[in-house]
Amino acid sequence: MLPAVLLIAGVSVYPIASAAYISLFQTRYLERVAFIGMGNYRRLLSDPAAWHNLSLSLVYVFGSLAVVLPFGIGVAMLLNQPVRLRAFFRTVIILPWVVSQTIVALLWGWLLNPDFGPAIYLAQILGFGKISLLSNPRAALATLIGVNAWGSYPIAVILILAALQTIPAELRDASRVDGVSAWQNFANITLPLIRPTLLVVIILLTLLYFNMVTLVFILTGGGPVAATEVLSLRTFNEAFQFWQVGYSATLGIVIFVFNVVFSLLYIRVLRQEPLY
Amino acid sequence: MRRLAIYLGLVCVAAVAVLPILWGLSTALKTKGEVVTYPPRWIPNPPTLQNFAVVLQEPAMPRHLGNSLLVGLCTIVVTLVVAAHAGYALARFSFPGRQALAFGILATAMIPGISILVPLYYLAAKAKIYDTYGILVAVYSAWQVPTTMWLMRGFFEAVPRELDDSALIDGCSRWGAFYRVILPLSQPGLAAAALLTFIFVWNDFLIAFTLTVSDSRRMIAVGLYQFVSQYGIEWGSLMAAVILALLPVMGLFLLLQRRFISGLTAGAMKG
Repeated sequence: MLPAVLLIAGVSVYPIASAAYISLFQTRYLERVAFIGMGNYRRLLSDPAAWHNLSLSLVYVFGSLAVVLPFGIGVAMLLNQPVRLRAFFRTVIILPWVVSQTIVALLWGWLLNPDFGPAIYLAQILGFGKISLLSNPRAALATLIGVNAWGSYPIAVILILAALQTIPAELRDASRVDGVSAWQNFANITLPLIRPTLLVVIILLTLLYFNMVTLVFILTGGGPVAATEVLSLRTFNEAFQFWQVGYSATLGIVIFVFNVVFSLLYIRVLRQEPLY
Repeated sequence: MRRLAIYLGLVCVAAVAVLPILWGLSTALKTKGEVVTYPPRWIPNPPTLQNFAVVLQEPAMPRHLGNSLLVGLCTIVVTLVVAAHAGYALARFSFPGRQALAFGILATAMIPGISILVPLYYLAAKAKIYDTYGILVAVYSAWQVPTTMWLMRGFFEAVPRELDDSALIDGCSRWGAFYRVILPLSQPGLAAAALLTFIFVWNDFLIAFTLTVSDSRRMIAVGLYQFVSQYGIEWGSLMAAVILALLPVMGLFLLLQRRFISGLTAGAMKG
């Protein structure tokens, strides 16, 4: 027990307290220059770039969810059908789960390469012309969301599939005998039964997306012209590109608060809803 | 008809899942000239292992793979030792503040990495362990322990208390009962936790990028990134490196898929 407490106190609890402390200082490189109290937080509120970063983060989170959730539900339902080769398909379909954000970014950077990539070739055949998705400020965020969806949908599929498998087949069959349509069956039986799992998936993914740095850093670096600089990436850049350590700590605390709120929601969901 | 539609759907989704990876593999097997052919070709002609040879002959890549393997294994050991003991204590002993402590530890899992990168950097620099394997293992373990502990506690609680008791009556000490009876019974849980921990370490970029700087301590994910920024992009060998970095985790996943899925669902639902 004690080792666990010490390890976690040293490497998780102390740092977050220390982050809160650093966020109260004006810094130059790693030196704390002056105590400025809430100065960094006031600066944050009047920093239009930070609001821009936050709104990008929100678009990123909700955009990714809007793609991944319906897709995840659909795929999980397909995988829940009693067909042959089901285990094979399940394995192949959740494969992207083990692909790290670094590798997702590198693979897709090459797929979307404006000179030699198959994605551009496909766009050209479909009549969109030879467009460069990642260097167009308006298309970049949408593209990033698509790539993120590819890397993260397996989590949704695995959890939703596990929930679907606990629904007794008789329940579905009984309603089918009663002449209920497939859609009604889904809306009235399946959806309510997997609702707790869906909430868990939504919260887990929200946190994952909101805190994500690696994928964005490697694929777009926040560009073009800050069009994909989400709040988490800004926090990283402030610290390790510009060495504005105090301000970065301030941004980090804002992200932390957001996480706490969502985690509390998560705990509420787990406590209140029966798990299937 | 309905069956056909299901298969069609499954095939399409499977294609979405693997085509990006196959495109990487195809590129890795192409000659320099063919990599930059437009329109792109999917089947390398002639296929070549040249790119893999180039990547493996340089000392950097094998070293980064080795670093990730070493740090990954050390993290598994530290995480499992710490988390299993803590999990057992939470499952079997009653002491004041047990529940509060359990939730307190779990609550640290909601501290996002990005929020504490700066303090960790300070900490590592002050403690003079910046750019060492030690700091990496410490940080990775601390991040894995809360969920692993929770997972193990669930496993231990599923083992009937009578087994502890009978081991104690048979003359085992508390430790003996834990190591000889309870732990072996919890092997599936340990294996699932070990796998998830390894993948986590292998795939991490942010911590490794922030807390190490020298090439001899570089982890594979950072190595791949450096590959891009250092030489300009040589797509053929980059994709060969990507495939090499992907092989171990993909191999583990294909071999031990069931363990993964049980670990992941248990972690999300019980944690």
